[in-house]
Amino acid sequence: MASLPAADNDAITELMARCALRDQRAFAELYRQTSAKLYGVAIRILRRQDWAEEVLQESFVNIWNHIADYSTSRSAPMTWMTAIVRNRALDWLRRPNLERGDEDYDLLVEALPDDAPGPEALLGMSRDARALADCLKQLSGNQRQTIMLAYAHGLSHGELASHLKEPLGTVKTWIRRGLDRLRGCMDGKIN
Amino acid sequence: MASIGSEVAWTVKSIERIGIVKYQSEPLRDALAAEYALGTLQGSARRRFERSLKDDPRLRRLVTDWQSRLAPLHALAEPVQPPARVWNAILDRIQLASGRRVSPASRGFWGSLTFWRGAAIVSALAAVVLAVSLTTITPTKQPPQMMVVVMSDQKSTPGMTVSWPMQPKGEPKLRIRVTGHETMTPDQAWELWMVPGGDQKPVSLGLINTDVEQELTVPRQLMPAMNQAWGLAMSVEPRGGSPTGLPTGPVMYKGQCVKL
Repeated sequence: MASLPAADNDAITELMARCALRDQRAFAELYRQTSAKLYGVAIRILRRQDWAEEVLQESFVNIWNHIADYSTSRSAPMTWMTAIVRNRALDWLRRPNLERGDEDYDLLVEALPDDAPGPEALLGMSRDARALADCLKQLSGNQRQTIMLAYAHGLSHGELASHLKEPLGTVKTWIRRGLDRLRGCMDGKIN
Repeated sequence: MASIGSEVAWTVKSIERIGIVKYQSEPLRDALAAEYALGTLQGSARRRFERSLKDDPRLRRLVTDWQSRLAPLHALAEPVQPPARVWNAILDRIQLASGRRVSPASRGFWGSLTFWRGAAIVSALAAVVLAVSLTTITPTKQPPQMMVVVMSDQKSTPGMTVSWPMQPKGEPKLRIRVTGHETMTPDQAWELWMVPGGDQKPVSLGLINTDVEQELTVPRQLMPAMNQAWGLAMSVEPRGGSPTGLPTGPVMYKGQCVKL
């Protein structure tokens, strides 16, 4: 399930409109429909259940308090909410003296060879997902792997370097060039 | 491309060293927005970047664009059901902040007050929330894209949603979703009304049916008023619609416009 089907996105937008009118039942329904996905995002990044619970709680309080700001974000509702959760999770990791769990990045992407059927099978078949998957396929294996690892697990340049056992500068270059090619490819598809 | 890449690399490095940020070069701004959205911009560089996001709407837009490009990567995270205590904690916090507790047991609050009074309170509050957030929190001048009206019955149960693009490209069309389960008898018609607010009279938008998904075209010259309206209402009229040009039957659903 990459991005939600259009109908679900509409349903979520409606729920958000009701939340903007301070309808707590709509908020409960919004939570019911989206919390498992967003909790999954937090767990991937934080790898500790207690932290992920805290971050999910903070995020939903934030969503409730700032739901009217959604109008200016111009992104899909799940994209907006996911960005809030990811930012909270990354903020959490920034706190001093944190010990994250073991480095068990059980990611399917790690096993992906260059020509694997990979991204589209992983990301699902919505139009946006297909565009991203097609473009990810045009990156080198290293570029793709670092970008997907970074996104899914919230790894810093340094963590990526030590995990992949590559020099820091190399990892930074992979990411920078990968993102650059990704934008070029995706803008070409949309326009 | 190589020169842009090395310029970015150099500037990122110098930002990391110096700590003073003026993100002026466009490739640099986009590269930083990308790494912010990806999550690899961390530590003090991330904090500095967030500070400049606050008063730079165009930079925020670059971030949003990257978040949207990368959004399908959500799929890499499996959904995991959070424990119930998380929701309980959230509910405690938002109810504490709003100064009243609405538990399922006290839901009579919605039913006991008359709907119209309740709706007025809610809408006044929502108007404040929207006004505050649109003017102070987000200084950007971008117009909102969609108007959404969730229409509810007298018990505040939503039964219908209407939405429309505020600046339609072609002829203006309302998208209507009827989710309530009311039935229409053959001698009845359901008529949709724009409620301008204040002392102004409702304006008929036309008849709708009971289909879950439907569209209603409205005259282009009505759009400015639609985009400023208080809300919409749907009344039950005799077959063929209201004979007077104003609602004559009971209002089944009514709701306030929200810009999204």
